Amino acid sequence: MSWQDGKAEWRNMDKIPGRETGFAGLGNASELLRCARRLKKMEKPEPELRIAVLGSCSIQYFVQILYLLLYDRGIYASVYEGMYDGIRMDILDEGSAFYRFCPDMAILLTDWRDIREFPQLFAEEPQTECCVEQILEQHRKLWEALHEKLPECQVIMSNYVVPVERMLGNLECNYAFSRQSIYRRVNEGLAKIRPPYVLLADMDYLASAFGKYSWFDAKAYVLGKLPFALEYTGYAAGLFAKLIGACRGIVKKCLVLDLDNTLWGGIVSEEGAAGIHAGMDDAAGEAFACFQKYVRQLKERGVILAVCSKNEEKDAKEPFLRKPGMILQLGDFSAFYANWDNKAENIRKIAEKLNIGLDSMVFFDDSPAERELVRTQLPMVEIIDVPPEPSAYIQVLEQAGCFHWACLTKEDAARAESYRTQHKREQLLAGAGTYGEYLQRLKMRGSIREVQSAELERFAQLINKSNQFNLRTKRHTQAELEAMMLRDDCRLLAARLSDKFSSYGIVSCVILRKNGTQCMIHTWVMSCRVLKRGLEYLMFAHMLETARAWGCSVMLGEYLPSQRNGMVSGLLPELGFCLLESSGEACEGGVRYAYDLKKEFSAAYYIQEEA
Amino acid sequence: MEEKLQEIFRNVFDDESILLTRKLCADDIEAWDSLTYFELIMETEHAFGIKLTAAEITGIKSAGQLMDIICRHLGEQE
Repeated sequence: MSWQDGKAEWRNMDKIPGRETGFAGLGNASELLRCARRLKKMEKPEPELRIAVLGSCSIQYFVQILYLLLYDRGIYASVYEGMYDGIRMDILDEGSAFYRFCPDMAILLTDWRDIREFPQLFAEEPQTECCVEQILEQHRKLWEALHEKLPECQVIMSNYVVPVERMLGNLECNYAFSRQSIYRRVNEGLAKIRPPYVLLADMDYLASAFGKYSWFDAKAYVLGKLPFALEYTGYAAGLFAKLIGACRGIVKKCLVLDLDNTLWGGIVSEEGAAGIHAGMDDAAGEAFACFQKYVRQLKERGVILAVCSKNEEKDAKEPFLRKPGMILQLGDFSAFYANWDNKAENIRKIAEKLNIGLDSMVFFDDSPAERELVRTQLPMVEIIDVPPEPSAYIQVLEQAGCFHWACLTKEDAARAESYRTQHKREQLLAGAGTYGEYLQRLKMRGSIREVQSAELERFAQLINKSNQFNLRTKRHTQAELEAMMLRDDCRLLAARLSDKFSSYGIVSCVILRKNGTQCMIHTWVMSCRVLKRGLEYLMFAHMLETARAWGCSVMLGEYLPSQRNGMVSGLLPELGFCLLESSGEACEGGVRYAYDLKKEFSAAYYIQEEA
Repeated sequence: MEEKLQEIFRNVFDDESILLTRKLCADDIEAWDSLTYFELIMETEHAFGIKLTAAEITGIKSAGQLMDIICRHLGEQE
């Protein structure tokens, strides 16, 4: 059986709890384990990712379910399962099986029982501080040892789940020397000292959200050294599967919202703006006001908002303009589709308008019928199972965890602004005689420089999130990129752009690799917000400069088709590259091109270069 | 009870051919290891609404012993 058949068989298998029933399904650990075991017996594709899981407790169940959930998300991983309590052993021993496995990602599962040294009763602040510092130092050393040996390995580590036992009882929260206080400070400290190649997973949050009396299962620990009750394994593995995906660029970017009974109570076309419930001064409206506040905060951190509602546009906009107490404003939405068309069709239009993939969208609608329609027609869109009770909206969206990204950048926070000013650009374009005139009037300024350490987080994010303007769709973790920065035969170029309406920050990345007299374009991506601005010409001029400074004679480029990058299929010939005859034999279906570096390059672009 | 337990055995060990007998033990079922055994216990506890003690769990060597313990717990509930 080929792996495609295997995959088909897998899809037809008994429903997978995590996928079919969303968050709640992850609580069915025995069903997940059964699926995982069946999956193990099936033939699968060549793994594309190597993940090592190391833990202080028994991690077998976690590993089995993680493998299943990753596979279900389209990530075929081979997984190394560390020995019981083997974190230090594997990381500090240079010849360990862990290093022989050579993982792309390492998952470290800590346990509260790992911390054994605590301050004495009545310890003063310096001793307490010293105790916390020692624990943090041990982690720092472990991370550094791992990073030195595997500079490209991304680490995802759980923080400590603060235990329920308290020898000082309630006094624990009153004294800084108490164990509870130490655990909390260690968790805070980890966030402060983590290097870019370490991402923390908030297990303490997860455990608290469920309640620690039920999270911990002392009997399961005594019998099988399980760190927490078996039934939570799916949730824990689900969190890590999301984070692994996020490090690989699988993230949701846009929240598509319905209006009637989603953002406000009631139906605006029937009750009018005055009749709907949306404000804090009205009990029925307060739940919606709280939800609007939450959604607005999502927007502020960089989630794109869109409206998709069955309404007359005029009616749909009325509450935003006239209703007192509305938190969200029309300007918060980057796309507003209120009409009577099929919602799946509207969502497709939103994706097109925003230049993002359908698989990066989340749909939130109180109507089960609309959700079912979108689920059937656009299976790649994540659908939130919205409960009938509006006051539960926030929790359901929170539980879905759709916006777990690998990092947060300044570009994220500025994103909404650039979408908001988009209509001003559209007006400018409409008023311009030619496209060139429009570009001139935009008064763009750009700079292209080698990426700096502080910019690496954004650089990695863009490489992992870009799908359309992406020549080869090779993903890299931040740790891998950091390693490349140090190599003489690699150049990482970052382009910044601003125009008269907004400043975009870093919007395009290039990785060049030198191989003898050849300079290869290993990666070239650009944000969908600045396509067709001529930035690629300015960048290419810089790429040529780098290649010539290296003493190369030819630049090689490759277009690797993916499902989404059709728009750059003609980029290299347009820049003056010639097709390589032998490209028929190139692997992975890539099309290879060459550019003779003796050739001059000239193209018209309207970006003023900043030093 | 036996029918319910047989169903749990079949589910956990993913083998529809399992026939529950008192003598059934780890040697008879290939998939029976410490992990699946632990799951079996968890499922049993859940299905019958009982909690076995750690000592009982470590002492069980056959399906018959498990059945006796389930009966005892169910009896206590009445």
